[in-house]
Amino acid sequence: MTLANSYGTTTVGARAVSRPEVEDFLYAEADILDAWRYDDWLALFEEGARYEIPTTDYRRWSPHESGSFVNDDWDLLRARVKRLKSRKAHAENPPSRTHRLVSNVRVFEESTDALRVTASFVVHRARDGQFDTYVGRYEHLLAVTDDGLRFRLRRSILGHEALPAGARLSFIL
Amino acid sequence: MWDASQPKATAPMIVEDWDRLTFRVNREAYRSEGIFAREREAIWSRHWLYLGHETEIANPNDFVVRTLAGRPLIFCRDSTGEVRAFLNSCPHRGTVLCRETQGSSKLFQCFYHAWTFRNTGDVAAIPDEQAYQAGEDFRAAMRLRAVPQLASHEGFVFVSFNPDVRPLLDHLGEAADYLTMIEEQHVGGMQTLPGVQLYSVRGNWKLAVENAMDGYHFSPTHNTFVGYLRESGYAVTDDDQYAYNLGNGHSLLVLTGHGGRISMIWEPRFGADERVRTQAHRAEMAERLGERRAHYVADESHILYVFPNLLLFDIEGLSIRQLEPVAAEQTDVRAWQLVPRDEEPAARALRMKTVVSFVGPGGLATPDDIEAYEAVQRGIDATAGDARSGLDYSDMSRGMLDEVKGVQGRSIDEGAMRGFWRRWVDAVGIPDGLHSSGERPASFLEGREMR
Ligand code: FES
Ligand SMILES: [Fe+2]
Repeated sequence: MTLANSYGTTTVGARAVSRPEVEDFLYAEADILDAWRYDDWLALFEEGARYEIPTTDYRRWSPHESGSFVNDDWDLLRARVKRLKSRKAHAENPPSRTHRLVSNVRVFEESTDALRVTASFVVHRARDGQFDTYVGRYEHLLAVTDDGLRFRLRRSILGHEALPAGARLSFIL
Repeated sequence: MWDASQPKATAPMIVEDWDRLTFRVNREAYRSEGIFAREREAIWSRHWLYLGHETEIANPNDFVVRTLAGRPLIFCRDSTGEVRAFLNSCPHRGTVLCRETQGSSKLFQCFYHAWTFRNTGDVAAIPDEQAYQAGEDFRAAMRLRAVPQLASHEGFVFVSFNPDVRPLLDHLGEAADYLTMIEEQHVGGMQTLPGVQLYSVRGNWKLAVENAMDGYHFSPTHNTFVGYLRESGYAVTDDDQYAYNLGNGHSLLVLTGHGGRISMIWEPRFGADERVRTQAHRAEMAERLGERRAHYVADESHILYVFPNLLLFDIEGLSIRQLEPVAAEQTDVRAWQLVPRDEEPAARALRMKTVVSFVGPGGLATPDDIEAYEAVQRGIDATAGDARSGLDYSDMSRGMLDEVKGVQGRSIDEGAMRGFWRRWVDAVGIPDGLHSSGERPASFLEGREMR
């Protein structure tokens, strides 16, 4: 795994990906999620992709061998989106108001067709008279395709010791 | 606000009316800090409480720290292999002794004045010990404070802060066998895994108990999850399923129509390989346990409530959920996945994915339960202190006619909740806490006959 080989650029296969391209992808995703545009969000994934949120005691173990908050394969990810679009997803109806900040973006070569991207996030969520803050780190795998980047693995790792009172992961973190 | 020191006979906690067949719970029970303080004393300081599973501290010297009933504890296996629970507080001046959340250590050293203790509780070293005149007596008096009672059943470890608590098996009663059934699911028994869900809800702990014993909410609250199951080819039903009061406040929801069970009841979303594994495992169970026992262990889902702080969701997979009330309106929740010790990787992966697709604050179902009890907690502010008679009460009357007839209550009725509340009002010891009018049945069905 190598860090950007010329300043701010990582080469995957024959394609050079700049950090601004990765940042734009993450910023666009944040806007899509804050606007509750879940079909557009799903379109950011390649088929077969996964979405994971490990528990707060996470120590690099596999989700296949441990408990998780979210351990979605492609089927479950689509079921989650379908649910969130339904008026019967009571935990998110009315939807949480969210505001996301993404920072400290770093890009690494993962394989011949994928990048590993790490970033910090702060997600503010307002609902039911409460204002929560979720802080953590993204560790994504992004497939590099001819028409842009796609999530292969979207992983949000919480920085908290436990989810605080009233916090939950019924929206996308 | 209702004052726990001066209970008002005019506002009973529970009002049963056997003419109208209504059962009402005073909403102060969910919001009063006075009642919360009384529960701490009468329930959480007197009864057995679930502490943790033996497999969390699998090896000698393993420890985890955990707050139970508001008290910081160390749950550990000492160097001889014995399971122990100590107050996580230095006997010298009360400092939190172990500030790690988990690990492995023969010794616990207090950072403040460096007193050091063995994981058997003995004092290992007190710096400059000769300054204390009492010598060995001083040392003996400064051992780590053990929780007064500790006992284990099928790997589930319970403690009590009451030295005179009755034996654990007396307390567990009929619930004990359901813990045994869990251990019997697989050759080699069960173990917890890392990856503990730690979260906190803005609701009274009893709302979480009600929700778990409430089959009535499943279809409306979990509409999207039911839709997901239906689309994957599983027909959800509430027919012919029952809720049992097991006595001592424990209860059991037996569900057969809410989903499959990994390695025991196959459903299409589990995939073809799992079907083969399920057939083989189910046959092995019949061989090992006998068909009748295997049927009760394998062919039905159980939601077991062990009074006051343990919920076992033995459904698609098995989750242990521990309730830790922190205030009248807030409850910390901890959930562990309990899995067969010997399980092939593909089955384990399917299990982990399936279990958390339902349970936990990131699942497709539990968030709607959390929404429900948080919305109740906020909603009942509307009637607080309302002088109009009976308004500040919640209704749990469904299925009372079955209680009159002595017929087993259905899972979609509210009989298990009534059983819980009757036990609760007894346990907190509020004088005239239950008001009953009309002809009350001489007794209520308790336990479950397994034929
Ligand atoms: S308080 Fe622990 S050594 Fe003094
Ligand atoms: Fe539920």
